Order: sequence, then structure tokens, then C-alpha cells
Amino acid sequence: MIKNVTLGQYFPGDSFVHKLDPRTKLLATIALIAVVFVSNGFAGFVMIAAFVLLTALSTGVHLKFLFKGLKPIMFIIIFTFILNVFFQQTGEVLVQFWVIKITTGGLRMATFMAARLILLVVASQLLTLTTSPISLTDGLESLMRPASKLGFPAHEIAMMMSIALRFIPTLMDEADKIMKAQKARGANFETGNLIQRAKAMIPLLVPLFVGAFRRADELALAMDARCYRGGAGRTRMNQLKYGTRDLIAAVAIVALFVLVILANRFCPF
Amino acid sequence: MPIEIKHLTHTYMPGSPFEARALNDICLTINDGEFIGIIGHTGSGKSTLISYFNGLERGASGAVLVNGVDLSDKNADLIAVRRTVGLVFQYPEYQLFEETVEKDIAFGPTNLGLTPEEVERRVVHAMHLVGLDPSRAKKSPFDLSGGQKRRVAIAGVLAMEPSILVLDEPAAGLDPAGRHEMLELISDIHESGVTIVMVSHSMDDVGRYCDRLFVLSHGEIAYQGTPAEVFVHGEELNKIGLDVPECAKLAARLRKAGFDIPQDAYRMEDVAGYIVKNIGKGRSDR
Amino acid sequence: MNNVIIDARNVTYRYEGGLSDAVSHLSLKVYEGEFVAVLGRNGCGKSTLAKLMNALLLPTSGEIMVNGVKASNEDECYEVRKSCGMVFQNPDNQIVTTIVEEDCAFGLENLGVEPALIRKRVDEALNAVGMAKHAHSSPAMLSGGQKQRVAVAGVLAMRPRIIVFDESTAMLDPIGRRDVFALAKKLNQEEGITIVWITHFMEEAVQADRVVVMDHGRIALEDTPHQVFAQMDKVLSLGLDVPEMMKLSARLRASGLKLPHGIMTVEEMAENLVKLRNA
Repeated sequence: MIKNVTLGQYFPGDSFVHKLDPRTKLLATIALIAVVFVSNGFAGFVMIAAFVLLTALSTGVHLKFLFKGLKPIMFIIIFTFILNVFFQQTGEVLVQFWVIKITTGGLRMATFMAARLILLVVASQLLTLTTSPISLTDGLESLMRPASKLGFPAHEIAMMMSIALRFIPTLMDEADKIMKAQKARGANFETGNLIQRAKAMIPLLVPLFVGAFRRADELALAMDARCYRGGAGRTRMNQLKYGTRDLIAAVAIVALFVLVILANRFCPF
Repeated sequence: MPIEIKHLTHTYMPGSPFEARALNDICLTINDGEFIGIIGHTGSGKSTLISYFNGLERGASGAVLVNGVDLSDKNADLIAVRRTVGLVFQYPEYQLFEETVEKDIAFGPTNLGLTPEEVERRVVHAMHLVGLDPSRAKKSPFDLSGGQKRRVAIAGVLAMEPSILVLDEPAAGLDPAGRHEMLELISDIHESGVTIVMVSHSMDDVGRYCDRLFVLSHGEIAYQGTPAEVFVHGEELNKIGLDVPECAKLAARLRKAGFDIPQDAYRMEDVAGYIVKNIGKGRSDR
Repeated sequence: MNNVIIDARNVTYRYEGGLSDAVSHLSLKVYEGEFVAVLGRNGCGKSTLAKLMNALLLPTSGEIMVNGVKASNEDECYEVRKSCGMVFQNPDNQIVTTIVEEDCAFGLENLGVEPALIRKRVDEALNAVGMAKHAHSSPAMLSGGQKQRVAVAGVLAMRPRIIVFDESTAMLDPIGRRDVFALAKKLNQEEGITIVWITHFMEEAVQADRVVVMDHGRIALEDTPHQVFAQMDKVLSLGLDVPEMMKLSARLRASGLKLPHGIMTVEEMAENLVKLRNA
């Protein structure tokens, strides 16, 4: 289970979406988020939802993973929904009871907001499910590269992210080992009040940090030995290349955009 | 019978695609005062097995009895078990965390709820046992050399005064002199009356020090018995990635060439004796 | 004799704040195509010497030439690191990326090599170390020995003339250890790469062309394995061990058997004993 952390929630696969350039997927996700905000009618939402759902189905990723990301924000979705129902008091009154008044306008707005939130989460979930953290990092680095001319440390940030990804499983393993060793010396990590528990973490955290610094030192030396000298003049073996696939994806996203704008204008419900 | 294991089976990540049997139907008994060796290559289940010895791992099928107490029992007193069975993991120097050597060694006994005087006495005694000079007590453990740090870590477990000490690869990464010192140290601890279980890759080491060996392969006990009984299986051991001591190898080779050397000879002094007997002092002096 | 590929002349290195020299007035020549084992107790300066060969450290005084380039010169350090690769002790702490083949490419990427050429060299290097089928794996899923092979591939892709192994087998189990040692041997014999092999394991040292024993930053012994280990008492006093068969042969000689000096392996011993019996 520990070793799965680096995969994040990546769901390995071989589909059209999996094979897209990570930059395309990043940009497409941004475009999807934009189109969710542009849309102001149900027709638009239905189109976006259909698009996201079809894309998800094509990736072979189990749908339950897609909706898993909704769980932590379910509360926010419900809260937003209720808030909108009560505070948007336009259109026909459907129910009136004591101080509660539910109107068609309120219901419409509430559904809008909830749908928006759900679509946002599901769209970004689709990105992380189909793209490994390492290619996400590559994509981000490549997209940020123009900014590095202005002094933005694009290469450094990407290198840090990739080293972090590389060492998370190693450090998790180490934490597990140290914890066991201290337990064998009678340490108690499970009971006690908050302060006692925080104090109990010292025998775990000190060795973990000392170890992390030692590793960082050794890694820096190993990188030096292989002629590492920052991003300048560096090439990459696996160049990111846009292909036909990416063009198709771009066309699909633009088409969705146009359709949603048309829907906004011609089916204003 | 300090440790008795009956039909222990441990499944790694059950229910996941990575599911694997780490231990399969292990039965073993460790008696008071023995020096036991556990051998096996990486992934043979050694580390998982020793984690059961003091209840760090629980809940697999089978029973683990320490001094008659079943550790799989939910009400088992684990602190009492950890007082009985001391566990020193691989590269134990990486678990040091206190400002001074004595504070680090005191961590275990303090967790046992002993009085400060008793803790103090145990720290001094443990430092003496592992051969650490008392002048180092107030030093930071992080300023010591690798071998010294390891001694501090072992003292930290010894200070809990366990009657059984389990060590996972205690000599790993040390230079030959350090290795030798470490093994002699463990042998001294054994002499002082502590039961020792040593996990090792080195057949030479376990052959020299252990009374009885368990060879683990793929989560099962492949061979067990005295070193002599185990080393007879030289070829089979080779197949599972283990080596027998050089002298046992030589003896096997010479037997094939017609030398009269008993199956159970593996110590250098014994093998040398038989070789001399075979060739004959008179003939070689001729 | 082949060309000298590493030439250390009166090299001294002292760490900042160190009380004594880690490497002290040391002179050593390594010849092209040689397999040199460096032994010595912990803290004798072996690792410092390794880092000097790779220009990871620059000598406090003296100079060191690696493949014709001055490793004591800071400006040339990348040239030196290109021709002299290094494999470290801890397999976990020298792999930079989360995918095996990308790690292999790391050095060449740093040198700004053409992507297509990197691809070719990486594939060759992974094949040479037998890790091609793990090219897309995560290093976290590999065994210690496999990780070290990946580290070797990462160095190999840079086409070095020399590889320094700094206790690269110390943290491995016997299978991994044998594996990595055999790989170094193969690279030495088949590719003619000069190997500097730092180790604590005598059974590895006996298979080298030459053994250098260090003590307190200096060279204490330097000769063929046979000649070095024949000086049993001296070797033991330097905190090292001698191969079991050498101890046995000393014992047998003491009890009157006329065994030749310098028997180090079980095969040699068995052969000699059979000969002696049949004499």
C-alpha cells in the first residue's frame, strides 16, 4: 500500500486519453473548467456532463474511482445546494412552510451550482486518474518553460517534484521501520492525549529527518557525479511531442466550447 | 520454552492484487539459553517472522507463544512481551534520536515505567555490556562512528533487560574488524545468559556461533538443525541463493575425491584435522 | 604495461574542520583495463580517494590526473566525471527519477546530448546490465541488487573509461552482491572498462588484478591479491580479514603439509590437497 503512494491515484491504462500528451491533458482540463463556468443553462451542462462521462468511459477507468473524489466535498456540495435554495427567492413559489420558501428560481440556481462543483471535481479527477504524477510534472515543466525566461524556476520546481515523488515510498518505508523499532523499545504511538501523542512522535520524527538529510546529501553527490548542473543546457530523452491525438482532443474541446456557447444563446433554460 | 510458534501463516496485503504469502505454516521452538541462527535471502520472510516474536505483527493464523503467553490474544500484555523479547532491527543506528547517548539508552527502560534510579543502573550496565566507555554517556549519539552508534542502539534494547535478544543482521555494513567485534559482543551477551536469535546472510557467522539454524525460503522453513546438519545440504542451499562455509565446501569436494571426511565437518579446525589424517603426516614430511 | 589512466601524485585531502588528513600524501597509478580492489577499515580514506578520482572533491594539495584530464582542476570536473563514473553504496540514494530508463538517461540529459542518441545509449546500457525488461518500472519495486544495476547502467550510458564502485555491494544480500560484482567483472573483461572496486569483502578482493590496502589515508599494502593476503598478520593488523582458505592453508602448513603459499580459493585448495595425497 505504501508503494502505491507515488502513483497518486493514477490508474494505468492504454486508452486514447492515457496516451495524450500531458500538456494537452492539462490544457484540456483548464478548458473544461472554463467551459463549466461559461455554461449558464442546463443544455450546456448536459453537454459537458456527456462529454466528461464519455471520455471517462473511453479510458477504462472504473467509474467508482471517478466519483470517489466527490466524497470529501459532498458536504460542500450539499451545503451550497441548500444555501442556494433558501437564498435565491425568484420565480414561482413551490413550497411555503414557516420561514422556508422554496422557489423554482432557487431550485434552478442550486442545481446549477451543485452541477458545476461536481463537474469541476470529476474533470480534474479524470486528469489525475489518467496521467502519472511524473508525466504531469513533465507537462507542467514544459508548459512553464516560457516563464523561466523571466526568472521563474520551472526546471527546479519540476526537479523537486520528481525527487519528492521518487523518495516518498522510500521515506514511508523508513518511517514504518523506525516506528517498529521504537515500538520494540516500548514506545506508544496510539494512546494518550494530544500533547502526549505529539511528544510520542519525537522518537519517530527525529530519526526520519536525520535520515532524510543524509539521503539528500548522498543524492546530491550522486547527481553531481553524473554531471548535474541545473536546467541550463539540459536535454530530455523523452521529448514531449504533440501528435494527431492531441489535435483531435483540441478539436473536441473547441467543439464543446462552441456548442456550449450556442446552447447558452439558443436554449436559455 | 521461551518462544514457541505453531503453524504461523502471514499473508502480505491480503485482498489486494499484491497478495502474497510472506510466511507459510511456520512451526518452531526456541529454548532458553540457545543461540539460534535464522538464514534466508531478502524476501524469504525473515524480517516478518521476527516481528512476530514480540507482537509487532499479530493476527495471522497460528499461534505465537512467548513464555506460554499467546500473543494473538487481544488481551496479551505487549509491554511485558517487549520486556522479555528485545528486538534489534537492521541498521539500528538509524533509530537513535536523543541528545545524549545515555538518554537514548534510557528510552526503553523509561517506557517500562521503571524508577529513575533503576533506569540509571540499567543504562550504566547496558553501556558496559556493549563495551561503550562511560565517558561517552553525555555525548551526542550522532557524533559517534557507525560501529559505536550501533552499540548504542543495541544497548538501548539491552537496557530493557530482555531474556531473549533478537538481532536482524547485526554485522551488516561493518568492516571486517567491526564485524568480528560485533559477533564477539553478541557471543558475550549470550554467555551472560541471554537467549540469542540472530538473523544473518553469512553462513560463516552462523556456523561459528549458533547452536541451531533455521533456513527460510519463500516463507517456509526449508532446513533446520545444528549447523552440521544444515550444511550437509550444500547444493540445495546454493539453489536457494545461500552458500555454505568455505570449509564445508572444501570438505564436500574432497569427499568426492575420495577423502575420508565425515559429513558433519565444517569447522576449520575439524576439517584441517581430517585433511592431515587423510594425507598422513609421515607422507608429507617425506 | 597499459597506459596509466588514473595518476594520483602526492595527493592530500583534509575535510573542513578535520583534525587529520583523510587522504595523506598518497600516490597511486591505475592502469587502463585494470581491476583494482581498494580495502581498508572504516575511516581509512577509501571513500575520500574515490571522490577525488571523480572530482567530487578537489585535493588540498597534490594533483590527480584522470584519463589525461586534471581532476584537481575545478573547471575540468565535468570532463573528469564523464570519463570516470561512480556507483555509490546505498542503492536508494543514487536513483534520481521514478522510472528506471529515465534515471539511466539522467547523466546524458545533463550533458545536453541529442534525445535520439540518449535513447540509443540508454537502451544499450540497460541491455548491458540486464535490466531492459524493467525499463519502465519504478525503482521502488526493485531489489537492492537490481537498483545497483540500474545505477551502473546510469553510469554506463555516459560511456566512461573508468567506474569507481564505492562499497556498492555493502548493503546487498549475497545474491545481489554476487550479481553486481559479476557485472563489474564483465564490464572490465568485455568492455575493457577500468574498475576501481572499494570493498570490505575479501572474497571480492581476491578476484581483482591488484589490491590496494589503505590505512590512515595512506597506502599500506599494494600488490597482487596473492602477495597481499600472503602477509596474513599484517593484513589482520590493518583491520581486514584474509580468505578462509588462506587461514586453512596456514594451519595445514603448521601441521606439516607442504602446501604452496597463496592458495585463496576452494578450488585451488582441493586441487593441491588431491595432488599432495597422490604424490
